Parts: sequence; structure tokens; C-alpha cells
Amino acid sequence: MNTHPVRITVDGTAFDAPAAATVIQAYATSQTPLVKNVGCMGQGVCGSCRCMVRRAGSREVTMELACETVVEEGMQVSFIDYFTPRRPHVYQAEDIADSWQVNTQLNEVFPEARHCRHCSGCDRSCPKDIAVQRGVNLAVAGDIRGASDVFENCIMCNLCTLACPEYIRPNHVGLFARRAVAALSLRPSDLIARLEQIESGAMSVDTGVLDEEAP
Amino acid sequence: MEAVPYEAALAAYRAGSGAAAVPADEAALLSGFHPDYGSAAVTLLVGANRGEPCPAAIAHQLHSNALIDDVDIAGAQLASTDVLIVGGGGAGCAAALAAEAAGAKVVLVNKLRLGDCNTVMAEGGIQAAVGAEDSPQRHFQDTMRAGHGAADRDLVAQMVLDGPDVIRWLIRLGISFDLEDEKALGGTLRRKRAGGASAARILSFRDFTGLEMMRVLREAVYLRPNIDTWNRCPAVELLSDDYGACVGAVIYNMESRSFVLVRAGAVILATGGSGRLHLNGFATSNHYGATADGMVLAYRMGAALREAASHQYHPTGLAYPSRLAGALISEAARSGGAKLVNGRGERFIDELRTRDVVAAAIIRECAEGRGVEREGQVGVFLDTPRLEAENPGIVAHDLISLGHLAAKAGIDPAQEPLMVYPTLHYQNGGVAIDRHGATAVKGLFCVGEVSGGIHGSNRMMGNSLLDIFSFGRRAGTAAALQAGRPLKGRSGLGHVHAWQRELTMAGLPLDVRGPALFPGYGHFNLRADAGLRRAEPLEAVA
Repeated sequence: MNTHPVRITVDGTAFDAPAAATVIQAYATSQTPLVKNVGCMGQGVCGSCRCMVRRAGSREVTMELACETVVEEGMQVSFIDYFTPRRPHVYQAEDIADSWQVNTQLNEVFPEARHCRHCSGCDRSCPKDIAVQRGVNLAVAGDIRGASDVFENCIMCNLCTLACPEYIRPNHVGLFARRAVAALSLRPSDLIARLEQIESGAMSVDTGVLDEEAP
Repeated sequence: MEAVPYEAALAAYRAGSGAAAVPADEAALLSGFHPDYGSAAVTLLVGANRGEPCPAAIAHQLHSNALIDDVDIAGAQLASTDVLIVGGGGAGCAAALAAEAAGAKVVLVNKLRLGDCNTVMAEGGIQAAVGAEDSPQRHFQDTMRAGHGAADRDLVAQMVLDGPDVIRWLIRLGISFDLEDEKALGGTLRRKRAGGASAARILSFRDFTGLEMMRVLREAVYLRPNIDTWNRCPAVELLSDDYGACVGAVIYNMESRSFVLVRAGAVILATGGSGRLHLNGFATSNHYGATADGMVLAYRMGAALREAASHQYHPTGLAYPSRLAGALISEAARSGGAKLVNGRGERFIDELRTRDVVAAAIIRECAEGRGVEREGQVGVFLDTPRLEAENPGIVAHDLISLGHLAAKAGIDPAQEPLMVYPTLHYQNGGVAIDRHGATAVKGLFCVGEVSGGIHGSNRMMGNSLLDIFSFGRRAGTAAALQAGRPLKGRSGLGHVHAWQRELTMAGLPLDVRGPALFPGYGHFNLRADAGLRRAEPLEAVA
């Protein structure tokens, strides 16, 4: 295993990074204050450390998560800062109440979604390889469940929202679909039965009863 | 540390029988090998818990002086709100939504961004007693037993009874849970069994339950008209009135590098835990922001702590490769049937004992030379190949996060066992609260990992996701009701002055400042960043 440090450049600053480290770990050793673009440090679920990566000898720039990318000699990394977003597409979960109207509501909340020009910019920007464009198209066409499934692994890094030339905000369209499916169709019978038992007072907790035996 | 080299351990594993583990003496295992029992504790010299033992790294924070003095905030911008919430993880978002629903205007401040938290990283699931053979009573008894009897019975009872209602609230927001039989308007929830539980009670979405929750909660909070979200704005101190009540907080805006004084009718701290302080040198599964900020601020203002010396070392942190050390493998793997195997190919513990016992057992195997060593990293095997052989497809379908982690490690978990070692995972204790999340300090609430009393001295899988929503919603509602009165009187740093006198009387230095805000490797110095006088330790400029 190669243990020699590798030279990488992050946001214009070159430094020697420990071999086999992730980009975010390497950055934490560079003496630079690390107070943004950092979060779960390796799980790849928070989307904070989204960045553009170019590898030595390649002209291609890829969108990646710094906590999931291992350093390579000559790698160039630029973080993509977050700004608190303006939210033009406002809706509330409780307004999604009539399943006959969901598709209409989705197209009203996200009127840009039907303007998709099929450029696939969203697909190329996704660090999780989600078929973003297909998900948007399914949502517009009324296949809410289909769109919901497409976005199942979305971490809301918003890179597709940055990439879309039509301001569609695809990940938020996907989340609308996911929320609609859960809020309108998830009614587990065991949960409903237990709620009835608790709310009727038939089931409660006696704090005086403890057992010391392991199950 | 002596250990079995990886290749030899792998050969022993492949030849292993998978025979049942010998029963363990739980008390001896804990006192001999759990880090809580062996860690270098110091005695707290100031504050409500003066005289009690506390891990040195936590005590260092609790003994610290404030980051700022009066002169630093003279002329700071002013803002006011009904309810100020510090920390936008699951607990903070639940509190914000509940407070707003109760009519309050809410400011929600985040050190990083809304949703940058441990909740988003939660994999296993949430406990709620919905099974026909299960009951809130059994959930209560399991939680009390797992916590070694140290938890507050009334808090636990209230939480377990809230469980089903919490699940309904989450579904109404648009959060999904796995069903046994996928169908609309029916079916039953898929349930897994937590270590130490008497019934299958863990509800989940795949094995990224926290992500499913947090992406919806973040969206819901952003879309509410009366919740104002401030990102990159850590709270660096609380504000007090002449009577010692909490009446707001000093916020540092990292973008403009300036302070804002936010006056509030009530303050809710939802700042999470302390894993990034790396107690006892352990790797952590925690989010970058988990630096005990809220506990330090609340303690300085007079709130009491409980079980502050108790931390959870999750049994299955990844041990190899080193770049992923400490990353979490969900208990879902063990509750699904994966076994633990030492360097000799032997099982050594019932894998579904409580987390503290299983972690102590792994530490014992490694301390006594029966661990596995690979490129300097030591751990034991998590037997995913046998799990996959017995349940074809389980890794691909049910253990998605485990699969992602293994892929990053360059290991196929269906063919090769992963190396694991306990990772610092959760702060079991924290600031003492009542049933509404209120602390002993008037106007100050604590919810989520920063609070204490719910998990005793050992937390069960799935009880922290329940804790944050049960208490988060209650604290949000209670804070909103309390916040109705008009803001009047002084708000300042009177409590800090009293604290400084106490530190001086105890012979503690004033140049150790806290809360930490970021881990040491974050290279952040608030006073230097803000351009304050005496950015260096006091002796250095004297």
C-alpha cells in the first residue's frame, strides 16, 4: 500500500495530503479552518461537502462528495458553497390531501418542471447516480409513485438544482413526490390499532413495574 | 496491541464453526473493559454538579470561561423572537415545527446548515411499540433495564406512550417507513429487534431512516412562514436577566463575522452530543458539529447534568481501512443476524446484548490479543458472509448503508467479513429536564442528545430518534406557551460574571474558553476570527 503523501489542490491551495485519506480528511490536516462544506465526514448522507473534482491528466470535471472521494496525486478540488436558498416553491404537507389533485398541485408548485429540455445536466451533476431527469419527467406526467422511487437515495445536496438551466429544482420536485406518497397512502393497520388503544386509555404505562431479568 | 494478523484470522474465520458464544458475566465485562468505567475521570469543581466525577475531556469544556465578554458584544446587532432554537437536527426541527404550530415566531440557528446533524446519519430506526404482542409497558421496561435503572421513569413512560403518535406525525409530514407487505391504506410496519429488547419494535426506512426523516424535516422547516432559519450562526453564549433566567443568546454570524444578540421569550438548546471531543481517544461515528456546545452553555447558566460520565461506544464502528475508522455499521446488521467473530474464528458474545456489553466484549477480545490486525488497525470480524449465505439478498436489499460503506472500503461484505471496533457514538446523559424539556433555568429548554435522564447509562437502538421527536415537540409547544409575555428588563452576561467569580474561587484558569464549536482539527478560533482583543491566551498578551 502506497503511504507517500500526495499533492492535491483544494480551492486553489496546494498541500501534501496523507495517502488513502478522503479529501475532507486531508483538508482537515491542511491547517485551514474547516468550518463549512463539512458534515457527516464519510457517510455520504448530508451533502455538505459537495465539490467539483478534476483528476491529473483528465479534462473532465466531476461532481462528488469530498467525504467519499479518496485523494490522488494532482487532484484539483473546488468546494461548492451553500447559500441559504430562496424558496419560491412553497407548499405544506397538510395541503396535499386529495390524491386526485396531487399531480395538478405538483405542477402548480413547480411550474418549471414541465419545461425540462432533456439536457441531462441534472443526471451528470448527481453524486449518487440518480436518474434525476427521468424522475422529474415521471412526476410531471403524474406517476408520483414512480418519481418517488427514483429519488429514494437522494441526499438533497442540491447539485441538480444548481445544474438545471430551467430552474426546475429537481430534488425538491422529487421530495414533493416522496412526501405525497407517504402522507397519502401510508396507513399501517398495526399503528392505527395501537393509537386507538392508547388514545382511548385502554393502554398505558405503570411506572411501578420493572423487571430485572434479561429477555 | 497484540493481535492475530489479518490473513491468519481470515483463515481461522473460514474454518470457524460459528458455534454459540459462551455466556458472559455482564458486570465483570463492563467494569473491566467498558471505557466509561476505566476512563480518567476528574471531579467537577464548579457548577451545579460540583464534586461529581466527569470524563476529563468533558470537564475541560464544563470548566471553561465564556468565549466572549461584555465589551465584545457592545454595539452588536439586536434581534428578537418568541422562541429561539439552537441546532437544526431532528430535535430542533421538531421543536421549531411544534412551536410555530402553537403560534410562536421562531428563529432556528445552526452552526453549520439546517439539517447538518447526527439525525441525518441515523441508520437503524426508531422504536415505537406497535406490535400486537408488544406494548408501551414492555418498551418502558426494556428501556429502564437497558439503562441499568438510571433513567427517569416518568420521562421514559411519557416517551414510550408518545411513540405511536410520533410515527403518525412523521407520516403526516411525508416520511416513509418500511412495511412488511407493501400496500397503500393498510399493511403492517416492518419491525426489527434492538439489542436488549423483548420484542421487535424498531421501525425503519431501509437502513437510512435518519436521512429519510431529515430531508423531509428540513424541507418542512424551510417552507414554514414563521420559522426563520439562520445558517452558519453558532450560539456562543446565552443571555440572562437580573434573576438568572435565560432570555436569549449571543449568535456569531460566520459569514459577516459579527455578533447578533437574539432576545427570546424562551430558548431551546438542541445542539446534540459530544462525539467530536473524541473521549478516551476513540474514533467517533458522530457528525462534525458534535462538540457539546449546548451542554457547556446550559451548565454555565446553572442547569444540572445527570449521567454526564456515561457515553455509548457503539459496538460496530468500522476498524479498517483507517480512513473510514469509526464509521458506523448499523445495529441492523446484528439485529438481522450477523455474528461477531474474533481472530481465532470464535464467537465471543451474544450479539444482541445491550450495546455497552457488546462493545466491552469486543474491547476485551482485542485487549487480550484475540483481535484481528490489518495494516495497524485492530478489530474483530462482523460475519456478513454467513448472514448473506443464510439470507440471500439481505445485504443488497436491507443493509444498503452497510453496502455503501463496504464499497468505500473496497470490501464485498457478501464474501469477506468487515473489521469492526467500538466507536464513540452517543452521550447517554446530559442536561436534566422535566417532561416538557425544561431545565432548572427558567426560560431554558434542552431536547435531544444534549438532554439527560431518558436513556439512563445505556441507550437502546432506536430510542434516540424517538426521544428527539417526543421531547422536541413537547418542548416546542411548552416554549411557545411560555414565550407569549413581552420581553422586558435587562438581558446580558450577568451569569457569565458570576461564573467567572466561581472559576476564580476554584482556582481554574479564565483563558480556557468554551464551548469548542469545532473539533481541534477544525483550526477555528472564534476570538481571532471575530477580531476580538485577547484572541490569544491571556498570558500571551499580558
